[in-house]
Formats: sequence, structure tokens, C-alpha cells
Amino acid sequence: MDLTVILFILLGLGGPLAFPVFSWAIGRWYQGTLLNALNEQEKQQNAAFGGHLIGSTSSKMTTLSAQSSVLLHTSIVVGPSMGQMFFMWFKSIFGGRLHSYDVIIEYGRREVTRRLQEQATHLGCSSIVNLRIETSTISFAKNSKSNTSSMEFLAFATGIRN
Amino acid sequence: MEPPQAISLMLSNVETIPGHSVVSSLGLVTGSTVRAKHIGKDIFAGLKNIVGGELKAYTELLNESRNEALQRMMADANSRGANAIVNVRFATSNVAAGASELFCYGTAVVVQ
Repeated sequence: MDLTVILFILLGLGGPLAFPVFSWAIGRWYQGTLLNALNEQEKQQNAAFGGHLIGSTSSKMTTLSAQSSVLLHTSIVVGPSMGQMFFMWFKSIFGGRLHSYDVIIEYGRREVTRRLQEQATHLGCSSIVNLRIETSTISFAKNSKSNTSSMEFLAFATGIRN
Repeated sequence: MEPPQAISLMLSNVETIPGHSVVSSLGLVTGSTVRAKHIGKDIFAGLKNIVGGELKAYTELLNESRNEALQRMMADANSRGANAIVNVRFATSNVAAGASELFCYGTAVVVQ
């Protein structure tokens, strides 16, 4: 077979896949850097403030000794890259673990918790009680096909000032 | 229409206001808002979707909207003569394609 014919066949196969592969690769790299940055920020925050006492219960002992309190709430919208969504669609034929979603969900939850702690520090709170994290799917897109492209993580809690 | 006054009440998502005691309960108060994105932001978010990660335009939009829902809830409580709201909960739902409802509710109380 002629070399140019093989080249054309490869281009024909590779052309439509080029963008998803590019998007998948760049998305994976970018989200890796986001997680690394988050690790650093968490370390710095813990070093500077010794970490907040965070609980998901409304402990009577903590709330009794309080001077005042404030409602903290923060949210973040995250989404996987287009290429990752494309390959996850393939993966869902066989089922199994969807690694790309794992990464982006972990990032969203940890980042929103970190921001809540940052907000608590800013408002002079010494501890956080009754932390709740909610997850919801946001479909801003007009076509219903891409409605899993973004997720919202909402964290809310009561900050206690002693 | 006059601009809405920023009302500030004591809020918490536990059953009391820590450091205060509840004197009387005035019932359930709610606040909600339905928001849709504007097309410019959507195009940028679409571009951001090439790499994934945080979609800042949407984060800001939802935070703004949630604050508005809180303001409406506080206005409701204020009109009943409450000075605090306890047990505040948030809920998010998709009411239509391209629109999102942000809802918050709590119990209006008088504290000392």
C-alpha cells in the first residue's frame, strides 16, 4: 500500500480524536496542578492558624462557651474537561471506576472546605460546628446532553467566636 | 423601586444562636431566587471546560444569588419582628434548562 494512503487513513482516524485527546491530556495536567496547589495551601493554612476545630455535629459543649456566632457559607462550581467527559462516556460502556470524576470531586470538596476555613479565620472564628456539604448538578447549558458538565459543592456551617 | 436595604440578622445553622438564648419562635421563613447565566459568561465557561477545574463565573453567580436569597429570608424574618434565624438550610435545584433555583429556609426567633 502507498505510504500516503496509510497517512490519510491515520489522519482520518486521528483527526476527530485529536481534540478529545488534547483536552483530556491538558485537563489531567491542569487538575493535577490544582490539587498540588491545594495541598500547599492547606499546609500553609494549618501552619499559620493551627487548623480549626471542625465538626459536623452541633456540639452543646462548644456552643455553650461561645460569645457569638456567624453563619458561614461558600460554594464552588467545578467540571471535568470536555475530553475527560468524552472518554468517561466510553468508560461507562464497561463501567468501573471513573478516575477523572474522582479527581475533580475530591478537588471541589477539599477546596470548598478550605475556603470555609479561610472565611472563618477572616471573621475571627475559633471553631466551626455543624458543617454540611451539599452536592448538586448545575445545568446552565441549554441542551440537556451536557448537564453533567458542572457540579456545585456548597458548604455551610456555624462559626463560633470564643 | 427603592434599592433593597441590607438587613443583618444573627444567623446560624444549629438549633440556637450560640451565646444567646431563644425567647420566642416566630415560625418558618424562606427566601428564594431563580437565576440564569448570561451568554457571555457561558461562552467563557465553555472555553474553561476545555481544561476543566473551577468555573469561576458560575461560582460567583451562585454566591451572589445565594446572598440574595439570604437577604430575602432576612427581610421576611425582619417583617415579623425577629432578630435572629436558627437552623438555616440551603437547597439548590434545577427548575428549568439554563436556570437554577437557590432556596434557603430557617426558623425566625427572638433571642436575648
